[in-house]
Amino acid sequence: MKIIFVMKSFVCLAVLFIFLVAGCAHSPARTDSETQSGSASSTSKAKTTTETSADLSGTPASPGNKSANTDEYDDEMEEEGEATTIADPLEPFNRAMYHFNDKLYFWMLKPVAKGYGEVVPEKARISIKSFFSNLGFPIRFLSCLLQADFTGAATEAGRFSVNTLWGIGGLMDPAAGKELDLQKQDTDFGLTLASYGVGHGFYIVWPVLGPSSPRDSVDIAGVYFLDPASYITPWYYDAVTKSMKIVNNTSLSIGEYEALQKAAIDPYVAMRDAYIQYRLNKVKGKSGKTEKVKLQQPGKKEEKGK
Amino acid sequence: MKKRLAKLLLLLFLLLPLPVHAGIPLDAVQASVNKVLDVLRDPKLKADSAKEIKKNKLRVIYKEMFDEIEFSKRTLARNWAKFSPAQQKEFVDLFEQVLEKNYMERILAYSDEKIEFYKESMLSDNQAEIQTRVITSSKEIPIFYRMIRKDNSWKVYDVIVENISLVQNYRTQFNAILNKNTPEQLLDILRKKVKEQ
Repeated sequence: MKIIFVMKSFVCLAVLFIFLVAGCAHSPARTDSETQSGSASSTSKAKTTTETSADLSGTPASPGNKSANTDEYDDEMEEEGEATTIADPLEPFNRAMYHFNDKLYFWMLKPVAKGYGEVVPEKARISIKSFFSNLGFPIRFLSCLLQADFTGAATEAGRFSVNTLWGIGGLMDPAAGKELDLQKQDTDFGLTLASYGVGHGFYIVWPVLGPSSPRDSVDIAGVYFLDPASYITPWYYDAVTKSMKIVNNTSLSIGEYEALQKAAIDPYVAMRDAYIQYRLNKVKGKSGKTEKVKLQQPGKKEEKGK
Repeated sequence: MKKRLAKLLLLLFLLLPLPVHAGIPLDAVQASVNKVLDVLRDPKLKADSAKEIKKNKLRVIYKEMFDEIEFSKRTLARNWAKFSPAQQKEFVDLFEQVLEKNYMERILAYSDEKIEFYKESMLSDNQAEIQTRVITSSKEIPIFYRMIRKDNSWKVYDVIVENISLVQNYRTQFNAILNKNTPEQLLDILRKKVKEQ
């Protein structure tokens, strides 16, 4: 256990180091376009040659239509591909860590969480989850402040006081109810850095902690220092508390990881893509992504009403 | 007083039939999802022996709801053109089987979570995104359906679960494989995947 403790502080240091070395100087848009342009030139060549053969094959769709369609996919591919790739220079290391975490999950975490889930009723586990989530207040509050999101910070402060006082120390979540409607601010230090324009950098899989990037690793360090559980002495109570949190939360989401893993053709790549899509969408959501909402034509609506 | 009003309002909401907001793509998804729910909740099909009947019924609904060719094309993106028509056909078929094998059980395990359809946004003139959420006892899972209009009917071509697009996820995987392998080798991987399950 002591090793884990030592490792943790090492991880924090390593994260800072990596961040200083790579994170700042790493402009994401640039690396993306670099990798993109390499593959783009080769595939576009391939496209032109194969397109003609596809047209010759005489499929029912009119050839003009078909090429227009493929162009559309290419454009979309270009757009989406650029936005959702992450460099993976550490792939061999990451793959090894991925397998380590995978085994850790299937051999240790899952059986423990399953047994725990059978003993503790679901309602209690949900309460415990909100209790730990309530303790995560400092991180969310500070992140909101650092992002100059004062409404968010106020919401978090309100939630924390309401849930701690009326929610039996955070076991319940009355603040999110219909009357107060103070919703949890889904933010962290990784997103804070993103809002400052720091790119995600490259993909890294930490042992135990899982998929991350240099930018999001700052959050791991932040969580460590701001989580009240980290200040419990002696240190092994801290470890127990944190393990408890992990086991409890896992018991509520058994089956999710398995589903992703089983459905994947290459689980490692699937996981990496899921991670980056998830994080990028969060960043997008934070920067107030404007959605194109077009109202239905009023005539059609009335028709529907009848 | 306020509480009573809130309760009354809540009751009113419960009495109202599901969302009044009526876009055509939203209706299409909702109709399909409701059909799925009807099959899952059908008391006649509760027995384990009826599993195959359920699966067959769900397959029919899936065919109506999804545009599987569009789905495959988008996951392969540029690489689609590298496949011969015969390979394309086999790919569509294999990919569908891979998905079915993995998601059928999950859908069948569905109990009585609530599904809310709350937003429809048009991505372009013939593409729309329907935002829904599945509410379970411990969390809410946002599920978005991307739809495309084809011959006046709306079909799903991508499902986005918790911000993760299924098409995008498979596209990254297939891309990684096709960077090093030929289409035939990819088909081989898929064949093996279907067999092993």
